[in-house]
Amino acid sequence: MSENQGKLEYVPTTCPYCGVGCGLNLVVSDGKLVGVEPFKRTPINEGKLCPKGATCWEHVQSPDRLTTPLIKKDGKFEEATWDEALDLVASKLKETSDKYGPRSLGFQVSCRTPNEDCYIMQKFARVGFKTNNVDNCARICHGPSVAGLSLSFGSGAATNPFEDVLNSDLIFIIGSNPVEAHPLAGRRIAQAKKKGIEIIVCDPRYTPTARLADTYLRYNPSTHIALINSMMYWIIEENLHDKAFIEERTKGFDELKETVAKYADVEEITGVPTETVKEIARRYATAKNAVIIYCLGITELTTGTDNVRSLGNLSMLTGNIGRPGVGVNPLRGQNNVQGACDMGAYPNVYSGYQKCEVDDIRHKMEDLWSVTDLPEWYGASLTEQIDQCGDPIKTMYILGLNPVVTYPNSNHVMKSLEKLDFLVVQDIFFTETCQYADVILPGTCFAEKDGTFTSGERRVNRIRKAVDGPGESMEDWRVFVKLAEKLNLPGFEFETAEDVWNDLRRVTPSMAGLNYERLNRPESLHWPCPTTEHPGTPILHIGKFSSADGKGNLFGIEFRQPAELADAEYPFTLMTGRLLFHYHSRTQTGRAAILHQEVPESYVQINNEDAKRLSIANGEKIKLSSRRGEVETLARVTDEVAPGVLMMTMHFGTGAVNLLTNDVRDPMSKMPELKHCAVKVEKITEA
Amino acid sequence: MVAKGDMVYAWAADAAVQEKGECGGAVSALLKYALESGKVDAVLAVKKGADLYDAIPTVITDPAEIAETSGSLHCGTILMPKLIKKYLNGAKDMKIAVPVKGCDAMGFYELAKRNQINLDNIIMIGLNCGGSVSPVSARKMIAEKFGVNPDDVVKEEIDKGQFIIVTKDGEHKGISIDELEEEGYGRRANCRRCKMKIPRQADLACGNWGVIGDKAGKATFVEVCSEKGADLVNGAAQAGALATEAPNPKGIEIRGKVENAMFKLADKWRAKDFGELGEGKERLKTIMEETSRCVKCYQCIDQCPICYCEECSTKKPHLVAPGKLPVDFMFHLIRFAHVSDSCINCGQCEENCAMDIPNALFMHALQVDLEEMFGQKPGVDMTLPILALVDEKTERKRLNDTGDDQIFNIFINK
Repeated sequence: MSENQGKLEYVPTTCPYCGVGCGLNLVVSDGKLVGVEPFKRTPINEGKLCPKGATCWEHVQSPDRLTTPLIKKDGKFEEATWDEALDLVASKLKETSDKYGPRSLGFQVSCRTPNEDCYIMQKFARVGFKTNNVDNCARICHGPSVAGLSLSFGSGAATNPFEDVLNSDLIFIIGSNPVEAHPLAGRRIAQAKKKGIEIIVCDPRYTPTARLADTYLRYNPSTHIALINSMMYWIIEENLHDKAFIEERTKGFDELKETVAKYADVEEITGVPTETVKEIARRYATAKNAVIIYCLGITELTTGTDNVRSLGNLSMLTGNIGRPGVGVNPLRGQNNVQGACDMGAYPNVYSGYQKCEVDDIRHKMEDLWSVTDLPEWYGASLTEQIDQCGDPIKTMYILGLNPVVTYPNSNHVMKSLEKLDFLVVQDIFFTETCQYADVILPGTCFAEKDGTFTSGERRVNRIRKAVDGPGESMEDWRVFVKLAEKLNLPGFEFETAEDVWNDLRRVTPSMAGLNYERLNRPESLHWPCPTTEHPGTPILHIGKFSSADGKGNLFGIEFRQPAELADAEYPFTLMTGRLLFHYHSRTQTGRAAILHQEVPESYVQINNEDAKRLSIANGEKIKLSSRRGEVETLARVTDEVAPGVLMMTMHFGTGAVNLLTNDVRDPMSKMPELKHCAVKVEKITEA
Repeated sequence: MVAKGDMVYAWAADAAVQEKGECGGAVSALLKYALESGKVDAVLAVKKGADLYDAIPTVITDPAEIAETSGSLHCGTILMPKLIKKYLNGAKDMKIAVPVKGCDAMGFYELAKRNQINLDNIIMIGLNCGGSVSPVSARKMIAEKFGVNPDDVVKEEIDKGQFIIVTKDGEHKGISIDELEEEGYGRRANCRRCKMKIPRQADLACGNWGVIGDKAGKATFVEVCSEKGADLVNGAAQAGALATEAPNPKGIEIRGKVENAMFKLADKWRAKDFGELGEGKERLKTIMEETSRCVKCYQCIDQCPICYCEECSTKKPHLVAPGKLPVDFMFHLIRFAHVSDSCINCGQCEENCAMDIPNALFMHALQVDLEEMFGQKPGVDMTLPILALVDEKTERKRLNDTGDDQIFNIFINK
């Protein structure tokens, strides 16, 4: 330490927050983090940062960090050694598995954690206990993108890089608010506007992104399919579809055409006049290059996968795929939501989306991992695992997630976790979920370990260790190495994060070319990248689609209403969203002084007219209730939402929106309906 | 022996330092000597990070490590004095030698005026600077205008009005800066408007302009700007670290011409940039429109060499509503009011702005207007700004204790 006295070290790394993957320098002095400084050399954000990125170091050295393993004894947590804690975890996992079989275990990993942690956890679950009950929280954000885009294009990832919007002639943004949720991708939209590129924003809410638009279109919440079908109807009706592209590169046009024929006029469903639909349809279809950007407004619904496929339809109908300036791009909410899925922390695929159900693939993985009897069955997804707590899931291992706050229907989550025989939570803070744990393991955060995050544009960005973790905390991948050692599992003899990554490369053809040496360059690389000579693939589907037959699939998709509509008893539609100033359940951003000051507590946006009718003043504390729970929160009276529509953010543990949200799932992707439920609003009367 | 006001050609006596350094390695030799002689405790300089487009600061206490910082990096656009304020306790408890560009030197003075840096503990080795290029735009320019893979470039320089690259195959390629900038490439916008080309408010002002004859490329032109600077050069010469000779009089003339040509170019850019910004209401409208994109990343404040308050007014809820987009225009008005008389046009607020708001342009335009009105020239010496400058904490205490609302109580002070 003393030789570093007064030294100032810059450690270039990747921001731990959203899926844009901004580069930044952590500043280290005397072995302590002292700040963040711009990393101007990175092409992703050129040194620029949003308020979250600029303060991302503040939580790292918080006195609230978990510093030692904790074991619950008689309802109280007591400090333990790693040996004691890991012996207990290993024995409980083994005991449960021996007694109840592979479906009795559940493994959940956060998209916040590096690829190396995600990869090793799914390998541990599959090799150690022959279970596919492993999932990550993409399930409750972009699971429908993985499912939908795979069905449409053969690959469940964004087609084009963020910066590529500058090559476009028209940007069509739907259900996405990048200025707040992905600010440095939002910057690209602002740059495009300066360049004179046309911007259309469709959103039930007049967001800061909508303010950048040339055309803002408000539609009724969760009516995307009707809106997009209608656009496609008018594109076909006016003969603006790309016949050559449809003919050469796609299947299913007739089915699509037949379906959309019913959607000429959708004003009753969407609230959008037909002339307006026609106009935006024309503009999208006639732009030389048009790109679609979407986010959770599309995915977090029971129609999530169909919504995504509808956007796939729209892009292929007009030939807007497979070259610069076009494409369909989901903006990923978490730093590693792309990577967690890529790593195979998913109940039906190994890394690189290699399907467990395919015998050849399973046997290949058995060979590469030197094991036998890997399971072929589709494991339980994230919220299915919650439903299965107690039966058949007895023991659960949660890495870096806080389901009590972030999963839908919190009351159900809490009750379910109580039914477990044994719960392991590995995290950096004592979260709301930790209370339900039997063992808590102190992990390390992005600044304390080496690894990689894969951003929303499929770019694999390095993170680098800047400081040691606090106390006894351990790099998360290393915890699994130690557990594997205790359980005598083969194939976990890793000494560095790079060793784990190289094991991933060994079993994953689409990422085999991505060695750390190449990833260390600020440009890094976009997968697929099969060999160390391959230049990476910034744009997907050039010439042919990634599907088995190389064709894109057009689908006829009917509009369906969300599971729970506003009615006489619960007359408001509640949507959820995110804030510029916070990230998820605020375990990190709540500990950055300025972010906490910007927005210290939960609020609900309510339309002026509704507020007036109910005599609710701006800033007044009101009560919201749904069929599942109730919360008190502050009213923010605004015309940003339409009458009858409310918007709350997901960030707050007090006044938590997920006490209200609906956990009913999209049948295809198992996505719960976080963005749409019915609530009622009441004034709080003084007792 | 040199004295304040003298000019010399200088070069490192040590062959290895000469070889590694730029123009005879005089600056490296001076830094090394400053450490070895104990004149300073540390050197703060920049070195290559990921590659030659990435400049990172480094604090050096071992003279052997000075070599790492040798050579120019025109893509290095960091501002050194704010780093000293933020991370090295304002040089209050250690002596530091720092190679500085014009904007760095100006920043040192402004932070020193505000008691954020102890200038007595700083030796500024000024470097002539014709401007710098942000790393990503430099790479784009090299790929698109030079037709060269930026990864194949082993050296870049700005000389005789050209941006010149040398590839790994030894190929030299230069394109005139005028041509590059007309097409939207080239230096940062603030650098184009900058007229602090030879930083004479530093202790020494060093560069290659005016080095002619057999010493061209082998010596550094050093203008001695302070007693401290003279002391360093004399000490280094006596210790056998630095060799000097009188400059060629023709060279002095040429140096003056280069500087004047740079001034003219800067005036041209100022006329263009400020002209496009318009006047009065038109200017206000542009500023309001552009700043409406703000996402409150606070980098314009965190990176600003004028900003230092612990209780920043932009964070007071009664002035700027917290947590709200679009951000109240008051946020930007506060910055204009607090910074514009002292803005040194370092460009950090613009280069680091998440939404590409031309913050430096706005502030620089205001500063130039104020300078015309009041004659206040920031960054050149210790003259305080137009309004009396007060220590933040003392002033806040005075306001609290007296109930006075007259900030900067200039009437009492005078």
